[in-house]
Amino acid sequence: MRQITRIGRVVALGGALGGAPVWAQAPPDAAAILDRYVEVTGGRAAYEKHQTEVLTGVVEFPAQGLKGKLVRYSAPPDKEYSILDLEGIGLIESGVNAGAAWEKSVLLGPRVKPGEERDQAIREAHFNQPIEWRKLYQKAATAGLQTVDGEECYEVVLTPPAGKPEHQFYSRKTGLLVRTTMVAASQMGDIEVEVDFADYKGFGGVLFPTRSKQRAGSQELNITVEQVRVNDAIPPERFEPPTDVAAMLRNAAGK
Amino acid sequence: MRTRQPRPGPRLLGAALLGPLFAANLLAQLSASQKQLQVDSFETVWTTIRDKHWDTRPGGLDWQAIHDEYRPQIEKAQTVDQARGVMRAMLARLNQTHFAILAPGVAEDIAGDGGEGTPGFDIRVLDGHVIVTDVKVGGIDLAAAGPGSEVRLGWEVISAGSWDLPVLVEKLRADPAIHEYAVVRAILSRIAGPVGYTKHYVFLDGAGARVPRDVRLQAPRGELAGFGNLPPQHVWFEFRKIGGVGYIRFNEFLDLPRLMPAFGKAIEDCAKCDGLIVDLRGNPGGIGGMAMGMAGWLTDRSDQRLGTMYMRSATLKFFLNPRADAYTGPLAILVDGTSASTSEIFAGGLQDLHRARIFGTRTAGAALPSLIARLPNGDGFQYAVANYISEGGRPLEGNGVTPDVEVRLTRESLLAGHDAVAASAVEWIRQQGKKP
Repeated sequence: MRQITRIGRVVALGGALGGAPVWAQAPPDAAAILDRYVEVTGGRAAYEKHQTEVLTGVVEFPAQGLKGKLVRYSAPPDKEYSILDLEGIGLIESGVNAGAAWEKSVLLGPRVKPGEERDQAIREAHFNQPIEWRKLYQKAATAGLQTVDGEECYEVVLTPPAGKPEHQFYSRKTGLLVRTTMVAASQMGDIEVEVDFADYKGFGGVLFPTRSKQRAGSQELNITVEQVRVNDAIPPERFEPPTDVAAMLRNAAGK
Repeated sequence: MRTRQPRPGPRLLGAALLGPLFAANLLAQLSASQKQLQVDSFETVWTTIRDKHWDTRPGGLDWQAIHDEYRPQIEKAQTVDQARGVMRAMLARLNQTHFAILAPGVAEDIAGDGGEGTPGFDIRVLDGHVIVTDVKVGGIDLAAAGPGSEVRLGWEVISAGSWDLPVLVEKLRADPAIHEYAVVRAILSRIAGPVGYTKHYVFLDGAGARVPRDVRLQAPRGELAGFGNLPPQHVWFEFRKIGGVGYIRFNEFLDLPRLMPAFGKAIEDCAKCDGLIVDLRGNPGGIGGMAMGMAGWLTDRSDQRLGTMYMRSATLKFFLNPRADAYTGPLAILVDGTSASTSEIFAGGLQDLHRARIFGTRTAGAALPSLIARLPNGDGFQYAVANYISEGGRPLEGNGVTPDVEVRLTRESLLAGHDAVAASAVEWIRQQGKKP
């Protein structure tokens, strides 16, 4: 299952949310849209004050009636550890550290993510993504104006160095990220994923979308962020993979 | 279905009385409002397939053209039977299983009147007869019960409460829309009832003598496990050794947090087994991912998959993730006509990968997730929402898994206390050990 991805970081500036559109005519340059997102969410300085984040929330699969608690630990440059305790399924852990991505579940056991799946996971784990998009994507282009749930949005196509492009939709009015669509690489194959973001709230001077609705294949899941603790001391071992995953990584490295 | 109360006594009489009335109604001319219900039902069926079939051209057809062809026919239908015939004809054009219009009476026949209490024995329909195939379902060996209480393998069940089972079996088997799997489920719901209720059964023993029994229904075996919106189910897992052969059996692919570790522990305990048997007879499936997870304990090869599921919006590969301490010895999987869905994905995939040898009889051929909706006219509408192709390239839906070694349970062997299917698998495993 895809984790919360690209949770937007937005500074709690109510005025900025209600600001008039900057661009009235032709769609602006993609860089301007992405930088505006950083701006309306508080600006680079606010992001740079974040050194760690611990996100807690609730994940729900409404059609199946499944629900679970999510905790995600993040630190620069691209360290991440997530644990989801899903009723009826059990624990699902995943992590990114030192260029490796992995997951482990009661259902499928431990696994090291290969290739494009690994690259995507590392990109998504990149800390403070919004201010670092130039490092993560080799190309950003504005594809035009689209309507997303009745809201006019600029569509930005971000192309990573390897892998498939991602489409992001930013509100023309507020500059906030409203939707992303992409093809996610997974062990089950490529899956089209669409995520809608809403209810931006401030944590540590940055706004996060606290509600997201994700559609992947025939599955729909909702994530509600309850809290984001900023700059907690996270011990380095939190990001170390479990021993069985570590053994797999050593085997893969031929050690 | 499980929570409905039994309707003793008058049930058969009621059916007998209602039958002619129902038949008459089929032939009665529809009023304007009744005609509209048929048209609305037709539109519901057509639209559902347009929107939810895994193929944007369902069955390779121009679905709009199909609508335009059949819509005038439904408008002209003068009776319920004619309207139903139009919708069935439209569905038949798909040439795919698990698309059906179920008349209310048929749906009721399948559903039964249930209750989750078990008499402690299991049954299969063998050559049209309801035969006792297990007498330890409730955790008590009914064959060892005292005189006047015992129930033996191979006995035929001819009535359960007020239900005349041979009559019911004949009726269900006469309808081609009802698969063996549904027939057995329907019978099982008739032999069950509320926990604590004493139900009267009549058996025929090996000599053909009538044997009456009053059996107090017990709570089902296993632990109650929930999974989202599904009603809680009793799930049990069993591991034992038959000589040097490991034997695993569980009733459903559910209760994932308990069953997956139990399966892993069994594999660990069986590391030095001569072979392993996974008995999926009677297992109706459950969580599809558990087939992948369990199969990961049974192979040390990566880049393998059980098959592929095709949906409108995604194509999902049922991959295998080999565990560090996987069991790689001889593997036999036991199946029958009541092994369905995830059981078929598991057995069919491992068969295609040449990892397992399959023993028993052909599985249900019900591998797809299908739903049954109620139409405006009261009929049931069954439709599948995905296609599944096993790794060998064959669709399991409608075809099922054909065993490598077909072994049929017979009443004679059961009367002798012999499980011919399990015995065949054990013998095969022993032969593997003798190979140089």
